[in-house]
Amino acid sequence: MAMIPSDRIEANRLDRDIAQRCRGGEAGAFEELYKRFGSRLYTVAYRMTGSAADAEDLVQDIFLQVYRRLDTYRGDAALGTWLHRIAVNACLDFVRSKQGRRRRVTDTGEDLDALEAPAAGPWRAGAALDRMELERAIAQLPPSYRRAFLLHDVEGLEHHEIGETLGIAEGTSKSLLFKARMRLRVLLRGRPGER
Amino acid sequence: MERHTSADPACGRFAALIHDRVDGALDAGAQQELDAHLASCAACRELLSDLDAIKRTAVDIPDLTPRSEVWTSLSARLAAEAAARPRPFWTGARVALAMAATLVVAVTSSVWLLRAPAPAAPADASAGAATEVIQSGGNLVQDVDEHLRIADEHYVKAIAGLEQVVKSGEGALDPALAATLQKNLGVIDQAITESREAIKTQPNSQLAQTSLFEALRQKVSLLEDTVALINVMRKGDQAGAAKILGGLSKS
Repeated sequence: MAMIPSDRIEANRLDRDIAQRCRGGEAGAFEELYKRFGSRLYTVAYRMTGSAADAEDLVQDIFLQVYRRLDTYRGDAALGTWLHRIAVNACLDFVRSKQGRRRRVTDTGEDLDALEAPAAGPWRAGAALDRMELERAIAQLPPSYRRAFLLHDVEGLEHHEIGETLGIAEGTSKSLLFKARMRLRVLLRGRPGER
Repeated sequence: MERHTSADPACGRFAALIHDRVDGALDAGAQQELDAHLASCAACRELLSDLDAIKRTAVDIPDLTPRSEVWTSLSARLAAEAAARPRPFWTGARVALAMAATLVVAVTSSVWLLRAPAPAAPADASAGAATEVIQSGGNLVQDVDEHLRIADEHYVKAIAGLEQVVKSGEGALDPALAATLQKNLGVIDQAITESREAIKTQPNSQLAQTSLFEALRQKVSLLEDTVALINVMRKGDQAGAAKILGGLSKS
């Protein structure tokens, strides 16, 4: 039987403790929860929406949802995982409602080859990839590509989870991720044959 | 189709294998096939190297820090939520009130029993038990007071937070509308003051306590609606504003 690392046991204990104190209405407990997870969830919201203002509104809505739903947290999953799932779902709801109002052809994932790519990107062969450059390139991805890339490569979800979360087939998630990575490469390195 | 960097069209089918390899999802047979291709294809080696770097870097992208105003606004909304759905404080107070009421019956019964003629020893025992019950009943009444005080504080805190948010965004409201909201807040404040006065003269009046909490709840609700109104006005969302104002006129 595999041993559970002691730091994970301690993390689980802390999770249960903070959830319990929040449920009990202990002063300062929810602020502690926000301090511990606020940046993570804000980052998820920012990357999913591409807007600081939307992310600020969303992170508040997410924590309000968390406040209302803490009673349902049983400690089966890590608190961070539980919060992350709430955040991703809230972000997707937000993105979907926004798309409903302003659907764009680039979000269908079909007309993407027509998008302009730079002849030369900032990333030089053999050099380390700069995180800021990658972040800028991610922001330029079409939304469907960006979501698949963020959920898989940044947030660590499996394709079947992404499929469930986004309401798409597992194969579609793989295909979107493939295209997203290839597109990022072009954005970072420039058009093939012109480097 | 995304373009591959190699001029060799045979490389196209290896691109998918390269992605799987980056994800650690290749079986041994495919791995062997890919390795054989990579040994002779610089373009595919470059693709693998690039995708590996993208994935590794993606994991390391640092989290962003939200502005401190986000917590300020969130804490006001949380306090309002707690006040509007005052759990566990208000629930606790109601349970404690029910328990206190039960104990009043228990204490009264015990006192009545003490008045009945009875042998000395059992009577002493009953008296001791009754004293304990009376004392614990007294403690519970104190608990109830404590719960009510906490609930009151919770409302006051929520109101202070919301008032701060409203004050900072009041300019977004139409002056006539702001004046109407202020007038309504004034009416509620008057009700709060009167309820507090009533509680001072009749500390045990459940009616006065209920009136106070109802007035506080109304104030939180009105301030929450005002904050929502300021937010939609700032965004120029006329439909959203009309919806909130419609709700206000019904409440």
